[in-house]
Amino acid sequence: MNRTTNTEPPSPFREPPWREPRTAYLHIPFCAHHCGYCDFAVSAGQDHLVELYLEALTLELTTLGQPRPVETRFIGGGTPTYLTPPQLERLLQAITHWLPLIEDTGEFSIESTPESLNPEKVAVLAQYGVNRVSLGVQSFQARHLNTLDRQHDPSQIAPAVAAVRQQIPAFSFDLIFGTPGQTLWDWEADLTAALQYAPAHISTYGLTYEKGTPLWKSRQRGQLVALDEDAELAMYEHTMNRLEAAGFEHYEISNFARPGQRSRHNERYWANEAYYGFGVGAARYIDGCRELNVRDTKLYIRRVLAGESPTFQSEELEPRDRAWETIATQLRRCDGITRSRFFLQTGFSLDTLIAAPLPQLIALGLLTDDGSTVRLSRRGRCVADGVIEELLSHQ
Amino acid sequence: MPPPTSNIRNFCIIAHIDHGKSTLADQFLLKTGTISERDIKAQTLDSMDLERERGITIRMHPVTIYHEHNGQQYELNLIDTPGHVDFNYEVSRSLAACEGAILLVDAFQGVQAQTVANAFLAMEANLRLIPTLNKIDLPHARPEYVIAEMEQAVFTEAADVIKVSAKAGLGIENALTAVIERVPAPNGDPTAPLKALIYNSHFDTYKGVVVYCRMIDGELKLGQKVKLMRTGREYAVTEIGQFRPDMTKCESLAAGQVGYFTANIKNIQDVNIGDTVTDALHPATEPLPGYKEPKPMVYSGLYPVNNNEFEALREALAKLKLNDSSFVYAPEVSDGLGFGFRCGFLGMLHREIIQQRLERDSELDLVQTAPNVTYEIEKTNGEQIQVHGPQDVPDGGGIKEFREPIVKISFLIPAGNVGDLMTMCHERRGTFVRTEYLSQQRVILVFEMPLAEVIYDLYDKLKSVTHGYGTMDYEVIGYRPAELVRLDILVHHQRVDALSVIVHRSTAEKRGRAVLKKLREEIDRHLFEVALQAAIGSRVVARETIAAMKKNVTAKCYGGDISRKRKLWAKQAEGKKRMKAIGQVAVPQEAFLAVLESGD
Repeated sequence: MNRTTNTEPPSPFREPPWREPRTAYLHIPFCAHHCGYCDFAVSAGQDHLVELYLEALTLELTTLGQPRPVETRFIGGGTPTYLTPPQLERLLQAITHWLPLIEDTGEFSIESTPESLNPEKVAVLAQYGVNRVSLGVQSFQARHLNTLDRQHDPSQIAPAVAAVRQQIPAFSFDLIFGTPGQTLWDWEADLTAALQYAPAHISTYGLTYEKGTPLWKSRQRGQLVALDEDAELAMYEHTMNRLEAAGFEHYEISNFARPGQRSRHNERYWANEAYYGFGVGAARYIDGCRELNVRDTKLYIRRVLAGESPTFQSEELEPRDRAWETIATQLRRCDGITRSRFFLQTGFSLDTLIAAPLPQLIALGLLTDDGSTVRLSRRGRCVADGVIEELLSHQ
Repeated sequence: MPPPTSNIRNFCIIAHIDHGKSTLADQFLLKTGTISERDIKAQTLDSMDLERERGITIRMHPVTIYHEHNGQQYELNLIDTPGHVDFNYEVSRSLAACEGAILLVDAFQGVQAQTVANAFLAMEANLRLIPTLNKIDLPHARPEYVIAEMEQAVFTEAADVIKVSAKAGLGIENALTAVIERVPAPNGDPTAPLKALIYNSHFDTYKGVVVYCRMIDGELKLGQKVKLMRTGREYAVTEIGQFRPDMTKCESLAAGQVGYFTANIKNIQDVNIGDTVTDALHPATEPLPGYKEPKPMVYSGLYPVNNNEFEALREALAKLKLNDSSFVYAPEVSDGLGFGFRCGFLGMLHREIIQQRLERDSELDLVQTAPNVTYEIEKTNGEQIQVHGPQDVPDGGGIKEFREPIVKISFLIPAGNVGDLMTMCHERRGTFVRTEYLSQQRVILVFEMPLAEVIYDLYDKLKSVTHGYGTMDYEVIGYRPAELVRLDILVHHQRVDALSVIVHRSTAEKRGRAVLKKLREEIDRHLFEVALQAAIGSRVVARETIAAMKKNVTAKCYGGDISRKRKLWAKQAEGKKRMKAIGQVAVPQEAFLAVLESGD
């Protein structure tokens, strides 16, 4: 007997979300400037490639064969809003065609920067259904923006937020802490400034010295001194206190949201579920297979326009490795790892994998276990990588 | 036909490293036509690569040369001597096969500590000394000064000194003449029953053991049935010969001669150095006095870096043992380093040479733990035990007396460094014995000191205190009780056996601190605080703490990061699995190495 009633729309998905993507990422590498700490696939000063790139990206989308409905979409970069309004329109048209949002409640995010945004561009975004803008503010203080090699001026933030607010329902701030020279008070000032704009969501990232970036080289050469661990820890702990007090939910290591305002797109990653990925340097995870596109923009364009695959790395994980990976990603969430769901998703009982190290990590106050769910404690979040490594060392 | 006993001279050369012993020996071979200029290798007598590289002689290589003097043919047997303190016992072996010795001294550098020590050994063995000054042609040579030192240090008569330049070939004839005229002929009895001294041996894959012998009485012939007096075993002689300098067969060896024989002896262990060879049918009544067996004084662990090379190491050690009976080894297991061997050496140079030879011959990558000496313990129940490492020290009480080997050590140093040397020796628990001025500039200082303090970088310290001019020589004189303790290292309250050391109580704290500091550098931070302690019994004498990890978290983990992160985490976890778990603490092999591996 068919239990489906006529009141529920038929689902377009045949497979569970960890096999069949319900979400899509698209990468726009262009930027006005390559910031010193950034190691994403970025093309600064390559404006002449934009049109070709959009052509290639559209062509890559056609490999879907037919439009694939998704629940969330995310355009990241680079600086997607570095594109001109007509270029943005061209991009959004292609996306709308190939990756239709499944329902009205679908999430459509785009990354942006204060200096690249204007009302005209916001209007284009709103017209195509973008309902969430992630603003790369990083800091409200010129001194630290300068250290980070960011191009914008703190005064550009207010107009950008105003423009977004008029036409788009939600926005998020990206902030960086742990910048050389930054004090706990500087960071508190940034958090206060951010909260004054009443964002729906805030991501706070501890500054990472990615190997090979100018920032990393400066540190290697001793031209700048990284903050010590105690200072970074104090900032992170202060972030948790401050944002939770302000009504935010700390739902992932680096992410805070007002109730109902989490990034559903990113939650797919942390659940270790499937996603599409398009564009230079983009990753995708479909039916247990992880793939990565080439990271060089010109090479990407050349390959796609020549009808070749832009993929340069592909790996199919064994079920057991997939389960371990799921532990590592899900543990980053405040929702932690729920045993029943974990078993359904991976086919492994959580306890057969982590029974050995679990008691010690609980005794150290780094994990909690209520019988159905294992979570990082507040202190555990500060050393999440250490906890994950400890779990993985019992593989 | 063997020469008459009166025309045989057996002698050796005593010299400090670099004073030209090998060069002089080469000149003897050249001048007597034993080898041609074309055949001569850089240093013929030092045939092992390692020896040539280091410019020193470790093993004895005898050579027989013929020389005409006053119309008579003489057979001269030159028996080489090792020049390093570790091989003192080999020096005495050489000396016992000779009637005379050339005491060779560099005309610029003068007398050195070892020259003195070996000269006295030769005197005690009743050898006739031929004082010889080498490198007299060098512009900075100062023969009068050095001769005065020789008079002072070894009672030389200035008139007796032969002056040569081995390199330039000057005075070689005089030296040969001195050997013939001054060294007494052997005084054996050619008609008595066979009696020959075994002073060395080596293993040959085709011939079996090659026995080096010095004929005392009687005659050794091909096919003769001989008996080794110590073991009582009998063998038929299959080959007889002399080193000229290559092994050269002959029909027989007569009293006074030096040569070798083979007799299908399969195992080198069956031939005891110092034993007496006699005729099986007409045996001598009394064996020769022989030698004292050398005892290994320095022990350390030897481990393959890759644990699966343990068997290969065992084979390599067995092979090495074939030609070096003074080296001993036994398997042991270390918490940190896995399976390996506890090895005993005559001294630090011996130890270094063995390691190099092993690595070269077997291509094994080895870890050698810091050396320790052989201790003695008398338990309260009266039992005496030999202690080759910290693991042999009984837990808790039960020790009545803990004894360590003491050496008599002499330094020959510039007079200006006496103060510094005194300080250095006192810091190392040395007691002053005497001082003796060779001249206004150079002085001999004699101390008694624990051997443990000598093997712990003393030689390097001497060189630095004296700017390279000081030399030293020592001999073990016995065991004395001392305030010795086993210092244990605890990681997170758990004792790590591999890291225990035996130290003097007064230095325990300092040593403990140094070990903990190294460990702290090598052990990663953990999710909890890790305590490192050094303890004597239950008393903690030093402590270090590795603070808990405070912040260690990846800021961004989105779609593109997951693969990368997974690999990174997996790599870290894999690295952790390879470490040695001491309780909950992962200790990397590097930490064990940093503590255990010797600094040289």
